[in-house]
Parts: sequence; C-alpha cells; structure tokens
Amino acid sequence: MKHAAVVTQFIIEEFLPDVGANELDSDYDLVDGGVIDSLGLLKTIAWLEDRFDLRVEEIDLDLDPDSFRSVGSISRFIERAQQHRTDSH
Amino acid sequence: MQQQNLVGSFVSHATSHPGDPALVWHGEETTYRELHRLAERERVRIARLAPGEDEPIGILAAKSPSAIALVLACLLEGRRFLLLPAPTPEGRTPHALVEQAGIRHVLSPESPQAPGPGPGASDRPAEPKAPRRTEPADVSFMFTTSGSTGRPKIVPLSTGAVDRFTTWAGERFGIRRGTTVLNYAPLTFDLCLLDIWTTLKYGGRVVLVDPARATHPGHLLDLVSRHAVQLVQAVPMFYRLLVDAATESGRRLDTVEHVVFTGDSMPARCLAEFPQLFTGARFYNVYGCTETNDSFLHEVDGTEPADGPVPIGRPLPGVHAVIVGADGGILTGPGTGELQVTTPFQTDGYLDREQDADTFATHHHDGETRRYFRSGDLVRRDRDGRITLEGRNDHQVKVRGVRVNTHEVEQVLLDHPDVVEAAVVAVPDPVAGRLLRSVVRRAPDSRLNSLALRRHCAQRLPLTAVPSALLIVDDPLPRTSTGKIDRRPVERACSPSQPNEGTAT
Repeated sequence: MKHAAVVTQFIIEEFLPDVGANELDSDYDLVDGGVIDSLGLLKTIAWLEDRFDLRVEEIDLDLDPDSFRSVGSISRFIERAQQHRTDSH
Repeated sequence: MQQQNLVGSFVSHATSHPGDPALVWHGEETTYRELHRLAERERVRIARLAPGEDEPIGILAAKSPSAIALVLACLLEGRRFLLLPAPTPEGRTPHALVEQAGIRHVLSPESPQAPGPGPGASDRPAEPKAPRRTEPADVSFMFTTSGSTGRPKIVPLSTGAVDRFTTWAGERFGIRRGTTVLNYAPLTFDLCLLDIWTTLKYGGRVVLVDPARATHPGHLLDLVSRHAVQLVQAVPMFYRLLVDAATESGRRLDTVEHVVFTGDSMPARCLAEFPQLFTGARFYNVYGCTETNDSFLHEVDGTEPADGPVPIGRPLPGVHAVIVGADGGILTGPGTGELQVTTPFQTDGYLDREQDADTFATHHHDGETRRYFRSGDLVRRDRDGRITLEGRNDHQVKVRGVRVNTHEVEQVLLDHPDVVEAAVVAVPDPVAGRLLRSVVRRAPDSRLNSLALRRHCAQRLPLTAVPSALLIVDDPLPRTSTGKIDRRPVERACSPSQPNEGTAT
C-alpha cells in the first residue's frame, strides 16, 4: 500500500481536518463511519483522477463503492489502476 | 378520469406484449414477461413465508429488477408493504420502523438465479394467477418520511390514491407503450410512483440508475443518451451534475421530451442551461410531499424571475390548497404563509395516528370542508396568484431531496457524552444545493474529534443527515439575548468562503 500516506492525507484534509494522520487506521470504514457519503465519494474520485492521472470509469466500470471504503482499499485501487495502465501500454 | 388499477394494467400489458422491455439495469433489459414471472415466483414465496393476508410486509428495497418484482408480488397479492432502505454491510436495519409498522416478515428480493421456489413447493413454474382483489381504500405502498432521528413517520397510501396518481402522471406526461423513463431516486422514495410505477402501469420502459453511481455525471449522461430516455424526473442536484458535465463536453440530450425537477428549489442559473442540454424538452417544476404526493406543477415558460426561485405553479386537477397566515387565518390575496394542501393522491393519515395531530388540519374553504396536510413550507403568493417557496416554518431543510430536521440532528450530536453544545445549519453548496454544517462545543478536557463524532452520527442518522462539515470548538457557542444559540454567526463561520473546518485551536 505505497499510496496509503497520501490517501490518508487527502481524506484528513478534506473530511477530518482535526484528526491526526496516525488516528486514522487504513482499514477504517469511511462510509459506515459517516466520513464519506456519495458526494464525498465523488470528491474522492475527482481527486484520484486528478492526482494520479487516472480515468476511474475506464478501470472500474461498475464503480464498486467497496473500492473506496477505506484508505487501504483506495490505495489498492490506485495500484490496480496503475497496473492496468502499464499493462495496456 | 377512468381509474385503472396499477397492477392489473401491468399484468394485462405483460400478457398482451410479453416481449416488451420493462426495465434496463446495468445495461441489461428485463422484459414484461420476465418481470411478471419473477413477480409470480415471489408471490409464492410471500404466501409461504407470511401467510397472514392482513400482515404488512417489509421489503429491503436496494434497487434491482428483483426488488421491483418483489413489490409487484405484494401488489399482486394485495398486501401492504413498507419499503425499507437496504441494510448497511454491518447489518444495521431500521428496527424502529419495522416495529412501528407491526412487521414480522422483512423480505429481501430473491436472486433471479435462485433454484425454484424452495422445498415443499411445486417444481412447476408458478401459474400466473389473477391479482387478488383489493378495495380502493386498502393500503398498498408505505413510505417513510422526515424524522431524521427518533420516530420516522410511516405514510400508508391506499390503492385508490396510487391508481389516481399514476393515472394523472401517465396522462400528463404521455407515458405509454414504448416510452422510456429514467428512474433516478432510490426505491424507497415516493418519486418512484411516477418514474417506475406509472411507467410499468402503461407499458413503458424504465432505465434504472444505480444509486452507487448516482453522483457520477459521465455515467448519467451516457445512460440518458444510450437508452434514448424521453422522460426524466430527479432532484435539482442531478441536473446540476449533468449541466456541469455537459457544459464541459458540449453534449446534448435530444431524445428527452419532458424534464421534471422536484424535491428542492432549482437554481435559476442551472435552469438557464437546460435548453442547451435538453434541446427538445419541456421543463416542469413539480411540488409535492410524501404525504400528499405531487400537488403543484409549473411548466417553465420563460417568464420566471431571473434570480428568484422557480414558481411552484398551479394545483394539479383535484388538488385544493390554502395559504395559512401567521394568525391562523386563510389568506385570500397576496402574502406569505404556510402552504396546506389536499390531493386525490394523499394518505389517509400516518400509520401512527398520534402523529396526525400537528400535520393535518381541517378547513372550511370555497364551500367545502376538507382535510388539509400542513406542508410546513412557507410560500409567497404574488399579485398574479403565482406561488413560490420561501423556506420552512420549522427546523426542516431539504438536503439533496431529503427532508432533514436540523433540530433533530442537533439532538443526536448532544446525545454524545462529550458534546456540550451543538448548532446545525444548512448552507448553500454549488453541487449538493444545500449541505449541513455544524459547530460543536466539546466538554472540557474531552479529546473528542470529528472521526468519533461522525461515527456517532452515522450510527444514528441517515447519511444525508450527517453534517458535511463538523467544527469542534472549546469555547461557548454564541447566544442570542433570549439565551438561544445564535445560528447566524454559525452560518457565517461555516460559509464556503471559509472552508477550514476542524478543531479550532
């Protein structure tokens, strides 16, 4: 999960500005925890696309919300996406 | 108006045109034959699992063709049913609702791939039976409303009310065999009575938006254009997403004939973009509540004010409305007051009759005595008789089409042992329309942070009622001279120009 730190930083700056990076576990459920709702998901996807130069819909056509439930799952999604891009080049 | 029965019309269409498409879900079509077959199978299961004919049924209504089949099965069986939001992965189901409705059986839709109707049942495919006969006063759909916490209200609708509404909607928007309609709202929303249930009554095709992708503009544009949607009904947020995305890409949605916006006020700026996006459509502002269903309609004609809210227009046929001023009297001329309406589509009252007292009022007006629903919406009538929404007369606000009571959200925050004071306000947001923001004062020496407080809220509130921004402070909140929390500085502190929220240190 090489992207965990930068994802954590984004989630905290965007949704939990008073929380320390070490207080947010990488498997903390952000949806059940009331941190991101569907609009928050939209913001997160926009950030992913911008920051990592991805097209989320090209990679995950079903846009499975479980891919974005925690810092860990978002980090894994980025890795998959980057892998996908390397493969298709 | 000839009232046709919803489920009877569906069955006759499934019999006469079985190969017509009924639903589109994730790009796949379900025909009327398939949907009817699924419904008949579910009917067998309902009769087996919940044989008491008068017993209400709970439906966990995550959107899918199977969930729609389960609703049809209840209609075929003449059973009343409560549409419940799908449980969270943690298995949190709305127990309070189930209990309040006296429901003993909560059903999830059966997978279409499930092997037959189960042990003890015949292996033969279920022979379609005629729908069980119901009386117009018998309850069918039950929706829930308001009450972002505590006691939500259950709104039972009679089959007569549903039949009258779907007949009106079908005629008003020309929904017939082959008409393609977009369904944006979740199945638990009364908006589905128009986009799903009226369409299935008249042999049209419903394109279902997956709620998991409901905020992805590219996906929404694709759905509307790929399936040549003719009628769209949604909350203003949907249109804001679409307009923004289309402005960038220059796309047009030229198959759409009718654009209905409802549930919240439409920003004039967004409405102004409609003709560029929907090049061949008529636009309607529809006003309604779960209790009364749609009550007012305004067709956009270019005379709307450039900066104010879009008028709600005129009462629908059979709808009567009064505006009640602060003194309790009915306004006869221009002025501001609470909108109270009575419609041919309305509920006979909440399931819990004790909740009726404050929300229904009887007035003698225009020579008739009628039972009016108190909408809680403040409206202004101008000299031309045109009515516009001014706001709420209580703590209720609309957040993304859902009524939220800010007072109740404050109570939830105050329930946290480390919270001393809490203020919740709704502030304008360019995308969502309105978002909740809150300022909370924590107890001295408390280490409460927004992570813990959000979790506390998420366990007690629907996600739309969890404040988008939580500012946790250690100083007392400002008070008015009468000792109430002064929300105006709170609104300013939360204004979008000052996006830094978090613990003030």
